[in-house]
Amino acid sequence: MKTRAAGLAVPGTQAQPVRLAWVLQRDGVLGYLLVLPAVILLVGLVAYPFVTALAFSLSDAVVGRAGRFIGLGNFRSLLLTDDIFRQTVWNSFVFTATAVALKTVLGLGLALLLARTLRFRRLIRGAVLLPWVIPTALSTLGWLWMFDSLYSVINWTLLRLGLVGQPLQWLGTPSLAMSAVITVNVWRGLPFFAITLLAGLVAINPELYEAAGADGAGVWARFRYVTLPLLRPVLAVVVLFSTILTFADFNIVYVLTRGGPVNSTHLFATLAHQVGLQAGKIGEGSAIALFMFPALAVIVYFQLHYARREV
Amino acid sequence: MSQTIAARLSRRQFLGRASAGTAGLAGILAARVPPAVAQKRELTMLGWSHFVPESDTRLKQLVDRFTKETNIAVRSDHIPHAQLAAKQAAELQTGAGHDLVMFYNEQAWRYREHLIDLDDLVGELNKKYGTDIYPFVKEAFFINGHWKILESIWPAFPGNYLQSKFQQVGEGPPDTWADLLRAGKKLKKIGHPVGIAISHCFDANSTFWAVCWSFGARVVEADGKTVTLSSPKMVEVIEYYKELYATAMEPEVLSWDDSGNNRSLNAGKSAWIHNPVSPYAVAVARKLPIADDINHHSTPAGPAGRFFAPTVRGYGIWKFSKNAEPAKDLLRFLYREDNFREWIQAGNGFNHPMWRHWESHPVWSTDPKLKLLPAEGIYGRMRGWPAPPSEVFGVIDDLYILPDMVAKAVGGMPTRDAIAWATDQVKRAMEGARS
Repeated sequence: MKTRAAGLAVPGTQAQPVRLAWVLQRDGVLGYLLVLPAVILLVGLVAYPFVTALAFSLSDAVVGRAGRFIGLGNFRSLLLTDDIFRQTVWNSFVFTATAVALKTVLGLGLALLLARTLRFRRLIRGAVLLPWVIPTALSTLGWLWMFDSLYSVINWTLLRLGLVGQPLQWLGTPSLAMSAVITVNVWRGLPFFAITLLAGLVAINPELYEAAGADGAGVWARFRYVTLPLLRPVLAVVVLFSTILTFADFNIVYVLTRGGPVNSTHLFATLAHQVGLQAGKIGEGSAIALFMFPALAVIVYFQLHYARREV
Repeated sequence: MSQTIAARLSRRQFLGRASAGTAGLAGILAARVPPAVAQKRELTMLGWSHFVPESDTRLKQLVDRFTKETNIAVRSDHIPHAQLAAKQAAELQTGAGHDLVMFYNEQAWRYREHLIDLDDLVGELNKKYGTDIYPFVKEAFFINGHWKILESIWPAFPGNYLQSKFQQVGEGPPDTWADLLRAGKKLKKIGHPVGIAISHCFDANSTFWAVCWSFGARVVEADGKTVTLSSPKMVEVIEYYKELYATAMEPEVLSWDDSGNNRSLNAGKSAWIHNPVSPYAVAVARKLPIADDINHHSTPAGPAGRFFAPTVRGYGIWKFSKNAEPAKDLLRFLYREDNFREWIQAGNGFNHPMWRHWESHPVWSTDPKLKLLPAEGIYGRMRGWPAPPSEVFGVIDDLYILPDMVAKAVGGMPTRDAIAWATDQVKRAMEGARS
């Protein structure tokens, strides 16, 4: 009471609470106010960096120097004269297509297994999530040791089983290095597919399976005509998210190969990091990173279009 | 507890206090001065994770001593050396970060207008340690008449070899690259190949420069503009690498990071590597039996002479640092004779200072396996030599163009095509770079 009295004694503060209450009571205003923090975050963490990167990509800036406006010079030069970049484009599509395809097939298989009534079901489902939960840099360091030229446990096993005559150079041979980074990406992304598809599977009404069974449908027919069509919207969203995340992957390649051998595993993000931050050519590095944008925009458009049609 | 507080506050009181708090915070942010209660001097320092961890441990102890003497807290952060460049770039672009930052090789040229001059500090130290400074350090860190970086480490880059394996094949330590090839062929046959990284790592760059110069080849001419990769001498370099790779090495060198060759030597697999003395220093510190077998010899010579490309490291202070003077005081403390002596000792032969005065430090005379190291300084050249120092050679190294050229050639690409590829890449790297 005393506080209120003291507050009233100060000129100019009397009307403030009334005005604030009036403002807050208006749904239109309050709505915008509540959305404001999210908008600030989006502008600060997404829009501002994006516009800055766009500005950099149109200049010949190097770290610490503003540079000159060169229009699309970086993009043109990368496409026409830089074969490391062209190789990176190829690597990115091979990496993304293979990893997402494997994650889809294996993830669906794992989800179907997890959907069955198993003993220790909760424990198993929890354990499946581990690769997704462990920080990528940390788990990839574990894989680095498994692929190490000297101490590879995979090579040790293959040699002991007599499957290879000499150690495989997992990170030293271009094709094997690409296989290695894809393997780690699949290992890490599989739980996301499995658990999300599992949620889709348990949402399917069991009566549909019973009805299909009554009509004489076997296991394959039930999967083909009941499970798959009803899972398709979830599948589309999962594939969309995974495609975006896989396409923009950085950690796995950075830790395992640093883009080598001979740039055979560079992805857009790792090449952009190498050129823009390590070598300091931030204009060119930004242009490399932005090359992802149209590709991802096209993927997002088609996936969302497809998902909306299905839903 | 929170319920009790909530019950005592009316909505209006809550709003009033919240707005007062917000206003206070806004005031602090606007003034950029913390309230008196939060004011405590703290310096921040960013360095690498040393290949001889004992050096970082001693640095931490020295820094703690500085805090005790001055009551200035110091936070010393260490990150893998390959991540330093990205971290520096991020700090400069945001105008915020550590007060003292480690820089190496051509980075002082890249960031010269963003680093404060350290002329007064180097002047004081020169009075104590003399002005006989290794030329490659001066070329790296003394720019347009001003010291931008205070050097802390240039490691010699000798041959590291397992004596028992060389004895087994009837060879002595190789004096030339040709000797290495001859011995390497025999060593590979007994399962102990030569190990030179041909990959995306610093060592791959360093060894390439050494082989290149030793064969008389150049990447850029002395004018700093003419790319001279495509030359008969460079063909010799690549052909040498191809033969060494095929007959004396194993494909693992294509995947190594900077610790790959160290681990291979200390595991007793590689019989020879081109590297600073960190494998031996670590083996001694950890009492590994392999330490007795490891020895060093001068970096190999070629038809044109004996050369190597040291990675010169040191500390600089960003112009945006608000603690430039305390940061200089910390450097003064670290380079004080007693402290500096300890720091050098902890590197176990790795930490060469820029003053030749320190060649007499006992770390290099007490262990006969390290005795040759100070004299190696005469073979050191800045990357890009004979071209004048320039940020472009940092870019060439950071993009691993030269090791990739070798990797393409050993992977089957015709030598001239690999050189032509690298020539294009070097020209691209030079676009927009300043000398």
